[in-house]
Amino acid sequence: MTSLLIILLLLAGAYLVAVLEAWIANGRLRFATPVLAGIAMLGRESIVPRQPDRIFFETAPVLLLISAILGAMVLPLTPDLITTDLATGALFINAALVYVLVALLMAGWGPDGAYAMIGGWRFLGQLIAYAMLIVMPITAVAMRAESLLTTQIVVSQAGLWNIVYQPLGFGLFFVAAMALAFLPPFDLATANSELASGVEAEYSGVRLAVFRLARLTLVMTLAAATVVFYLGGWQGPWLPPWAWSGLKILAVTAAMLLAGRLMPRIREADLMAWGWMLGIPLALLNIFLVGVLVLVWP
Amino acid sequence: MSSLQQYGLLLGITIGTVGFVLSLFALARTFGKARREPGKDVPATAGQLSRDPVWVRYHARYYGYALLFLAFDMEMAFMYPWAVVYKQVGLVALLDMGVFLAILFLGLLYGWSQGALRRQ
Repeated sequence: MTSLLIILLLLAGAYLVAVLEAWIANGRLRFATPVLAGIAMLGRESIVPRQPDRIFFETAPVLLLISAILGAMVLPLTPDLITTDLATGALFINAALVYVLVALLMAGWGPDGAYAMIGGWRFLGQLIAYAMLIVMPITAVAMRAESLLTTQIVVSQAGLWNIVYQPLGFGLFFVAAMALAFLPPFDLATANSELASGVEAEYSGVRLAVFRLARLTLVMTLAAATVVFYLGGWQGPWLPPWAWSGLKILAVTAAMLLAGRLMPRIREADLMAWGWMLGIPLALLNIFLVGVLVLVWP
Repeated sequence: MSSLQQYGLLLGITIGTVGFVLSLFALARTFGKARREPGKDVPATAGQLSRDPVWVRYHARYYGYALLFLAFDMEMAFMYPWAVVYKQVGLVALLDMGVFLAILFLGLLYGWSQGALRRQ
């Protein structure tokens, strides 16, 4: 029952992300647009390009959706509102979200189209840039919580949220989460102006609808993960826990979408250079600083 | 819930997601089918088939990063159990992992100095 509720909340969240994205992109707040656009996409033809790798082509959007949903399953919205309180939760979300790469590579390879292929390979490079910056900050979070249980991670932030305790880790994780969700400054795989939507280029109709839904869900999952790991999850005064979770997740989503509007798209080579020459030394420094802090002032 | 039940639930959610997508496909099917017309199924390259074949070997120009990435990714597998017991073990854990990470970081610096961190 709980899992069904959480999946429905996730879908509602994906809808809100779509509304927010449109609002931030073109300044019009319209609540019906995502629903109408979704129905319209169901009504359009879903063309399969000639000579595709059919298995890859069909699997990619579904795998992306599964990856986003499974990632969200270990994140608590309130102390009880969590599908599976896995003992390895913080590790499981990494494992689930790695399949984003697999799905995008499949979507790139499958249709046998040049733009899609370039998008897919670009995302592989992007993974090499961002992956460490997802994993390393989470390690520092687990060090403070002494556990990989996501509920325990939230409880460990009762005195002081991790965004204050380890701001460096928060900054790195936030940027890396945007890169993982291929949001605008890092949308190398689906670059509209360069690649005619890249990995999405060959998808149309219902398959595109699934792809877009998966991407929106992914943004939601990552915003929820940021809230759980750094913003104290459900904790906060006056309001009930679920309200705090919801408000924080929406705020983080809006911040991610807004940040993307303010920057030009980064080149893949630059992204990797920044990730490895600046990001990873900073992430290691973060682990060391948190290590000292945890011993001195728990 | 035991952990086996938890993983069973996650498997069920995976299957449920596939079922949801299949039902969407079935719903879309009731609206109508794509008509087969010449030229419609050409991949998006300005309406023509691309000049060169697409499924060929690509040069992974970031292989320097990729090799370093492998080393760091393996290292992270050790970091997670270490992070969980870190506070219990205390200073010894910090020094142990500090030495390990320092050696790894020296590897990164060495790779950097040898020009691994650029597109080749």
